[in-house]
Amino acid sequence: MISRRHFLFFGLSFAAGLIFSNRQFSLAAPFPQFFFAQLKYKGGEWDPNPGFVEPIVEELERRTSVDGFKERRITTLSDPDLFYVPFLYMAGKYEFEPFTSQERELLRRFLTYGGFLFAEDTMGAKGFGFDRVFRTEMKQILPKSELKRLPPDHSVYRSFYLIDTLGGRQKVNHYLEGITIDQWTPVIYSQNDLSGAWAKDRFGKWINECAPGGEVQRSQAFKAGINIIVYSLTSDYKKDVIHHPFIKRRQNL
Amino acid sequence: MSLKEIFIEPLIPSGLIYLLFLLGGIAVILQYVWIRKRLTRPKAMTLSLLRLFTLVLLTSFLFNPFSLEKKESKVLPSLAILLDTSPSMGLPGRGGKGNRLDEAKALLLEGQNPLLRSLSEKFDVSLYSIGQSLMPLREDELAPLKAGKKKGDPTDAVRILNRKVSLAILLSDGNLKWDERASAGFPMLSIPLGDSKEYKDILVKAVKSPNLAFRGREIGIDVTIKSYGYRGMTLPVVLKDGDRIIAAKEIRIHESPLEIALTLPFASERVGQHNLSLSVPVQTGENITFNNQIDLSIKVARDKIRVLMVSGTPSLNYRFMRMALKNDPSIDLLSFVILRTPSDVLNVPIQEQSLIPFPVDTLFSKELNHFDLLIFDNLPSHLYISPNYYGAIREFVREGGGLAMIGGPHLMDGGRFLRTPLEEVLPVKLIGREGYRRESPQTVRLSRVGKTHPITQLSLDEKENENLWRDMPALDGINLLEPKAFKNVLLEGADGASRPILFADHYGKGRTLILGTDFSWKWYMGMVSRGKSHWAYLRFIERMVRWLTKDVSLNPVQIAFPETPGEAGQELEFRIKMKEENISSHLKGKTLLSIFNSEGAKVESHLKGSESSGEYLGSFIPKREGTYRIKVEFPNGVQEEFVTIGRPIEEREGAPDHERLKAISVSTGGNVLARGDDFLKEINTYGARGEKRFIEEKRSPLWNLPYILLTLLALLSTEWFLRRRWGLI
Repeated sequence: MISRRHFLFFGLSFAAGLIFSNRQFSLAAPFPQFFFAQLKYKGGEWDPNPGFVEPIVEELERRTSVDGFKERRITTLSDPDLFYVPFLYMAGKYEFEPFTSQERELLRRFLTYGGFLFAEDTMGAKGFGFDRVFRTEMKQILPKSELKRLPPDHSVYRSFYLIDTLGGRQKVNHYLEGITIDQWTPVIYSQNDLSGAWAKDRFGKWINECAPGGEVQRSQAFKAGINIIVYSLTSDYKKDVIHHPFIKRRQNL
Repeated sequence: MSLKEIFIEPLIPSGLIYLLFLLGGIAVILQYVWIRKRLTRPKAMTLSLLRLFTLVLLTSFLFNPFSLEKKESKVLPSLAILLDTSPSMGLPGRGGKGNRLDEAKALLLEGQNPLLRSLSEKFDVSLYSIGQSLMPLREDELAPLKAGKKKGDPTDAVRILNRKVSLAILLSDGNLKWDERASAGFPMLSIPLGDSKEYKDILVKAVKSPNLAFRGREIGIDVTIKSYGYRGMTLPVVLKDGDRIIAAKEIRIHESPLEIALTLPFASERVGQHNLSLSVPVQTGENITFNNQIDLSIKVARDKIRVLMVSGTPSLNYRFMRMALKNDPSIDLLSFVILRTPSDVLNVPIQEQSLIPFPVDTLFSKELNHFDLLIFDNLPSHLYISPNYYGAIREFVREGGGLAMIGGPHLMDGGRFLRTPLEEVLPVKLIGREGYRRESPQTVRLSRVGKTHPITQLSLDEKENENLWRDMPALDGINLLEPKAFKNVLLEGADGASRPILFADHYGKGRTLILGTDFSWKWYMGMVSRGKSHWAYLRFIERMVRWLTKDVSLNPVQIAFPETPGEAGQELEFRIKMKEENISSHLKGKTLLSIFNSEGAKVESHLKGSESSGEYLGSFIPKREGTYRIKVEFPNGVQEEFVTIGRPIEEREGAPDHERLKAISVSTGGNVLARGDDFLKEINTYGARGEKRFIEEKRSPLWNLPYILLTLLALLSTEWFLRRRWGLI
């Protein structure tokens, strides 16, 4: 039997551990294949939906074989470990400070040689705020490639679910945009605020309403999120010939 | 002696002789004038005449007169009897009594008037056998003579006997070599042996096929079948790979003899050497049975390396490895990623899912052999692949396939491979649980074996290669594995306890590999982050795949055979060429050549060439037909090739070829002596044409005849006597 004194000692120690732990990012068991690395940049609002990670990673683990980590890693373009992140996430509402030439070069190298960036304009204002600066930056970072609408047969629409419309907190576009280099799309961009649709508060309630489609639109946002994550880990796997007849058959159902 | 038999051969020019005679005559006249003053006319005339006669006689000696006596002589014509001892002479002769050589012996030695004895009376007979070479025979050597192993060549006999004989008789079945350009200085009569109408045989006369074929692509093997007899029959021509029939066609024999050309298809999914045989079933009464089959070997190469990759989960490891494999145009990748586990929720209707069923049964029970390499990438295989298929995977590797297992938490399927067929195949010891560790970044270093292993040899410079691996970015997670043998370890951790990370081994004809990390992709992105090139990772994956699939591109040498490897007994030469990038390392050691026959016995071989250029010429004489294994050992490893040697065509073809015999005889001005002919009469006719007569000439000089000398002496003595008597001395 444990004594009251020992019980209190261990209990308080455990509580102190929880409170005072610095919650360092850890890749400890169960060996996640995937985590969000969110880009912190200067100016604007780099973290418009802080509570998005856990809900989407929970759904990712529930629905797919991917082991995800429910904590995000906050990173900057000067982070020496930038090239080891599986999924670089960038979100914002407002205009932000342009990247330095060194940051642009790093991001160009990261994206050209296999890195992946999912960017979101959570305000969804075309040609304003985050959207304007992001497009300008991308043009400077990858001048030979254009950020454009991804065609309906792009692998991101079929990497896990067969998607024909895009959900989100808002319905600005029914498609995703992206920059494609050869067969790989290292940059995917959305203005529908997917993370806004995923985000929950600490009590497990949705932070944002999805309009105009409501919960169906939220569900579509989760499907899109899972597809983007699976695409970042499998590339154009669904373009392999063996998948064609199955996908075609199901699209015709 | 008549005047017709007297000839002159002046010792000096005739004009000079006439001049001397003229001067002598003038001297005689002047003498006459001088002695006339002292003697009477008759006396002076007598002396002058004596002197004139002497002068005539002496000057006539300068004409060198001689008598020529001619005598005509006759000699016996020389006759060579050439007896063919080609292999086909050992086949049944006319009427089936003994072989064709026995038939020849009977003709020469037996009967009331043996031909040899009859000929010896009229000719100067010499006996020869034509086999490997022209060999003189004594009469007593004739009876025990046996058929040899080489096709006879009368061209050689014609060359040697030219001008030595006036006639030759060739006893043969016509299965001979003959150079159409050969010119004989004597007619050659031939006596045909064997009976082409009685001869029965079906043979695979010729096969023409490329030495190299590509996997899955059909090639045609051109075959020529020849038949003697068996008119009206339908026979199958069968192409076998080992014991397995892979193609067959029927031929109908509508006449005899008949030559039929046909093409049989060959295609194989198995890469490597294929020892094939083409055959026609042996029929009753065939004179030769071994020629119903011919062996050939075709090397099947892959046009593309077919890789089947099964990943347990979407991951960066999968994505980067897929990119590396897709980057290589010589690789045909079929990959499956397990996107959901059986416990995952899929709360959408089927038309919203892109997931396809994982065709386990099709892949592992039917299609596996169509791949060269199977990769399990961090796969918890018990969830998807029944252990019953592990036996098929073991067989796949045993028969030459490659198996790679890429690390991660599920590499060893939680230890479930223990006591399965995979335990035998994998190059690590299984402990019945999964050992995986994260949070301790590990840089790597090459093991002793890894320093020279083709997979880890990213640079040919040893030091540079070591540094390259040492500089690779650290791995964040590794599997805790123990090798079955330390020679299997190529890479090990360089930090703390040196854990082995990369293992490679052979199993049966195949190869296996374990990469005990799911962070090898960091070798790509880590280099990019340092501003360096990512080629090392791409090269590592490329070499890993090529080594596992025994791709020829990793072979440091190439062995090139001539298009037609030749026949047993003929020297076979082949080229061994080092690849340029391997020449420098090759110079550090010795290159050895060993050749083994189909029974595995080593045969004598020669290797010559320039070491500096990295090119050699290998050669050997295959004594018998069969498949020979050529093994080249060089500092970087061993390479083997196979070559199939056939029996010489002279041994395969045994039908009497009397037309050929006729052609040989006619080209020398001779003829074929048909059965029933009076051989002796025919031979005599030709012998008479070659009969030799010669004229013997006897030449006798006249100046040294005694009576001529006496006459001269008498003339001079008389002249001296008369001068003395008449007081001139």
